[in-house]
Amino acid sequence: MALLSAKDREYLTDLFSKEMENKVKLIYFGDSKENCEYCELEVQILDELQELSDKIIVERYNVNDHKDLVEKYEVEMVPALILTLEDGEDRGVRFYGLPSGHEFGTLVQDITTFGKGAKPDLSPNTIEKLKEIDTPVRISVFVTPTCPYCPRAVLTAHNFALINPLIKAEMIEANEFFELSNEFGVSSVPHIVINRNPNTFFIGAYPEAQYLEEVLKAIK
Amino acid sequence: MVHFDLGNISSGPKDYYDILIVGGGPAGLTAAIYAGRAGLTAAVFEKALEGGAVTQTHIVENWPGFTRIEGSELGEKFAEHARSFGAELVTAEVTKITYDNEYKYVHLDNGKVVKGKALVYATGAVPRQLNVPGEKEFRGKGVTYCAACDGYLFSGKDVVVVGGGDSACDEAHFLAKMVKSITIVQNLPYLTAAKVLQDRLFSNKNVKVVYNSLVKEIRGKDKVEEVVVVNNETGEETVIKAEGVFIYVGLVPKSDLLKDIVEVDKFGYIKTNENMETNIPGIYAIGDVRVKNLRQIVTAAADGAIAVEHAAKKYF
Ligand SMILES: Cc1cc2nc3c(=O)[nH]c(=O)nc-3n(C[C@H](O)[C@H](O)[C@H](O)COP(=O)(O)OP(=O)(O)OC[C@H]3O[C@@H](n4cnc5c(N)ncnc54)[C@H](O)[C@@H]3O)c2cc1C
Repeated sequence: MALLSAKDREYLTDLFSKEMENKVKLIYFGDSKENCEYCELEVQILDELQELSDKIIVERYNVNDHKDLVEKYEVEMVPALILTLEDGEDRGVRFYGLPSGHEFGTLVQDITTFGKGAKPDLSPNTIEKLKEIDTPVRISVFVTPTCPYCPRAVLTAHNFALINPLIKAEMIEANEFFELSNEFGVSSVPHIVINRNPNTFFIGAYPEAQYLEEVLKAIK
Repeated sequence: MVHFDLGNISSGPKDYYDILIVGGGPAGLTAAIYAGRAGLTAAVFEKALEGGAVTQTHIVENWPGFTRIEGSELGEKFAEHARSFGAELVTAEVTKITYDNEYKYVHLDNGKVVKGKALVYATGAVPRQLNVPGEKEFRGKGVTYCAACDGYLFSGKDVVVVGGGDSACDEAHFLAKMVKSITIVQNLPYLTAAKVLQDRLFSNKNVKVVYNSLVKEIRGKDKVEEVVVVNNETGEETVIKAEGVFIYVGLVPKSDLLKDIVEVDKFGYIKTNENMETNIPGIYAIGDVRVKNLRQIVTAAADGAIAVEHAAKKYF
């Protein structure tokens, strides 16, 4: 059975045909069913997405067979999804865990952002401050698929990553990676951790300017 | 069951719309539907997810046409409906509202400014805080206001739900399936939720209620470990062991962007006339954010219809 309804497919086909100028690569890393409960579903949803637009290219890899790529894209856990332009250059945009529920909208939004050349809609002031960052920054956004505030927190992080190659931004599905969430004391989402330091975090979907402030404060 | 929702897909805003709608809950999205039907262009600015408070409601059973529908599904249907009438759904937080003789302006958090002829303010209300020691400190460390968001993170744990109204009981019922136990703390000698919600809640074996009690303090080391409650008749203190505290004790209006521009009541709810217009012509307030008797999805939707219908006649 298809995961997307006929109506959703129609809507997305239209959206992608209107919004996408560039090709977008969705690079997926997975594992066998025994090792990865949600991998099969993710493969299926990616297949369904790929069918909707010739601008969407899906590449699928098993983590155990492609050590070079795992290293290149710094894949830590599966399922992992990395979005890039057609050239495959890592722009720091990642999803760990199935982008389901409200996070599916996040994925679609990211796809169209890449489709328009990976130039996110951020204020000139934010862009300028992001460009000034000269140390590596990793933004980990813990989410649940049912959380209405989470998509925005992920999108903002992903958009930040597109501005500066030193920034990597990842969605982490908190239920799927329960141990990791526990390690970071996640009990309310979105929970945003900077540089995987359990002590530098903030909770909630902040507007762009405050979000940036929190990130800058954490890396000081 | 795994869902793949399309609620939050948006495109960048243009410079001008006939109707600017701040907030994408049932009120704002209904306003957008009526704008589309009236042949007006409309943009809905939403900082979180289209559907508003409905998207974090477990089950809705009083929206006509559906005996029972999941909140997230209903929210998505509202958004889809608004889109189908041409509304632009824009993901952005409005950080300022200004106006001159001719136009209203919304200032977005990404620095953009969008102008419109009429402005419809539909930002809803947000959960009220208890204002007890530990509440702020343990926010995100056990204290939460959103069962839909965080419920699963408390699987197999003991939790406290504070409040005894419709929202508290419905959300407690949702939590009961995953957590180990729920203790509801209610300040009155009875629950105020609708009878059906109470009956359903008590069909769960792991729910109990502590009546006549107020939360005094939320305590723990790094995260919530216990909740101290006081009986308001005997003054007796009890300590309840819990790792999570879900707070549902009413709402406060999200009127901050307008409260210095238009008239509000002493709680901050925006005053309107029966056309939903504030004291500033062309600025409307609809839904949970305005002074009214019943804050529900149907009444929010009704407000949206009335406001746009009026604006369409008066300003276009
Ligand atoms: C747990 C719970 C259960 C409920 N159950 C029911 C029920 O079963 N039946 C029923 O009829 N009602 C129910 N309600 C009430 C119902 O959800 C509300 O009455 C209704 O959602 C109000 O609609 P609204 O559009 O006025 O506001 P909201 O739904 O609150 O929407 C306001 C929106 O505005 C956005 N916003 C706020 N500020 C800004 C800004 N500056 N920029 C951009 N966006 C902004 C918010 O993110 C939000 O999405 C429930 C409420 C809760 C909390």
